[in-house]
Amino acid sequence: MTMKFQDPDQDIAVKALQWQVLSLPVGLKAAILKGPADRMELTLPNFREEGTTISFINYKGDVRIGTGHRPGDKEQPASPGLGLMTVAGRPMSFRTGAAVPFAALVLFIPRAWAQLFMGANTPFRKIEQQLEEETNIITCRLGRRQLSLLSATLGVTGEPALSLLSLQNNALALLEYFLCNRHRSLLGVNPIADIENEDDLSLIREVESYISEFYCSDTFTVDSILKKTYTSYHRLNFLFKSIHGMTISEYIRNKRIEKSKEMIADNVKSISQIAYEIGYSSISNYILAFKKVYQITPGKYKKQIDSLA
Amino acid sequence: MSYVSLENSEGFLKCFEVIAEDKSCIVSDSVLYFSGKTGKGFITVAGIHTGIEVLAVNLSQLTDDLTIRFQPSSDAASYILHFDEIEVPNKGDNDVPVNTVGTPAEKGHSVVSIADAARGKTIVYPRERMIRSLVVRVRKASLDHLIKDFDAGTIGAILDSPDSPASLTWPITFKYRLLLNDFMAEIVQHPFRELFTIRNVSMLMEYLLQQLFVMQKLSDDGNSLSTQDTRSLSRVEQHLCLHYKTEFPGIEKLSRISAMSPTSLKTKFKRYYGETLFGYYQKNKLEHARKLLDNKVPVKVVATEIGYSNPSHFTLAFKKEYGFSPWHYLNPH
Repeated sequence: MTMKFQDPDQDIAVKALQWQVLSLPVGLKAAILKGPADRMELTLPNFREEGTTISFINYKGDVRIGTGHRPGDKEQPASPGLGLMTVAGRPMSFRTGAAVPFAALVLFIPRAWAQLFMGANTPFRKIEQQLEEETNIITCRLGRRQLSLLSATLGVTGEPALSLLSLQNNALALLEYFLCNRHRSLLGVNPIADIENEDDLSLIREVESYISEFYCSDTFTVDSILKKTYTSYHRLNFLFKSIHGMTISEYIRNKRIEKSKEMIADNVKSISQIAYEIGYSSISNYILAFKKVYQITPGKYKKQIDSLA
Repeated sequence: MSYVSLENSEGFLKCFEVIAEDKSCIVSDSVLYFSGKTGKGFITVAGIHTGIEVLAVNLSQLTDDLTIRFQPSSDAASYILHFDEIEVPNKGDNDVPVNTVGTPAEKGHSVVSIADAARGKTIVYPRERMIRSLVVRVRKASLDHLIKDFDAGTIGAILDSPDSPASLTWPITFKYRLLLNDFMAEIVQHPFRELFTIRNVSMLMEYLLQQLFVMQKLSDDGNSLSTQDTRSLSRVEQHLCLHYKTEFPGIEKLSRISAMSPTSLKTKFKRYYGETLFGYYQKNKLEHARKLLDNKVPVKVVATEIGYSNPSHFTLAFKKEYGFSPWHYLNPH
């Protein structure tokens, strides 16, 4: 497929409600809207084609997203700086009770385009599946970079050819961010956690993998994690607690003790050997830790296992 | 010396086999890895199915020059855009300007160029350099519209006229450098490769058109630069870009590098790059800082990393450039 270009006169053609619809050179369509709105009831523009839409919105105040046909149907509160992905044609509207400054960019991706540019990527197929089966809206919070891209997109002026291109670039960057963000959160699946921020989740994944790699080393400390990930102890602990329900040191201890339990069951090494091998510098510390986790000393545990065998 | 000819889309992939055999490389999933014997790095292609073909070259320590030749093809109505950055490794703070190797064929120069595919193109990647290069082939129909809006077809006319140089070239700017850096860092791993490619190509187009626009304006005003001046300015530009971590070098040093008088350097630089010398240096520096912040590096570390001794100075400079402080950048909600 080649880049499609329309006659420049046709670029700013369709005006659905207050949406300004533009055709981008790569073959996407964008609808932009900006300005204060009082008591609005805004539906997405109709692109009359099969595909998906991603809406990026930003506002100050109180906005609700409706996913039903009638007002009042299935409403959920929105939050400023949000990306929403849905199948084109599904009902979605933004409602406000009072006057708020509101800005939105809706990106329409024709099905053929999506197939061409993203169809070969497994992550996209997963996202597509999710879109069709589980939920009908996928959301993602925008970072500062994306917010500034969004406001730049809505405020472009200047050379007609250049502004269209820069609008396209911003839109593509937003699209890429959205998909990558989704992809990352799909990799680290944790539905229980009520941590919204995808970056936090990926941080935790990183720490977890770091821990599982080094927890047996006797030079391993929580400090070394902090240094590696550039986070503060309190922040990391907070995140860990909200995901695993325990502090980071408890998490490491449990991991070590679990490992030692397996080693005891293997019945190859003595308990003191095991203690040193999993990174404890004194045996009494190890025995205390073991007792805390399993309410039994490692020696007794070993005897239990032996008697069973 | 090795030649590879790329005539059409299939050629992009076929050329891999040729290079792989010649340079003893490993090919996996359309990425060609150099094993270290003949060079380090990779070459990859993207966007084959989407009609905008990209050949990305990220190599260093080549033991021999690598030549890639695009055969002239009459039926392919497309342009070849070519963006590359070539550095001499381990130059450090050396005063010697980096690209003195600019012998014929612009060997060793960091350039942006646009050429008509019908005339063919030969690109030589010199040995023992750090090379980051993107070759993009795009259909004329896609680009013409944008170019024509712009300068009423002058560029097209220059490229089409029989006695013109085979391609138009300019020195690159820091935007290209940053983009090339990002592109090379992510292309192999990126989960959405085609999308990533098209976004970057689209951005390159924007930069290119901006540059065309500036050039057009300069020549309209009768201020177009001589080749000599362009080279000198690009040396200064390169120096500013590479040394963003250290202090601003000062006008005297820069004028020595460019072999121009301080006044004429200042005026010409501003005219060509649209920024003052310090402004350009600062923009590049802060753009690096922003990239680091995107990667969740704390503000304090970023400040030291880009050469500020005091984080508050960094915060001030950042705020002046972008309108919000680094902290607000990290915590937008």
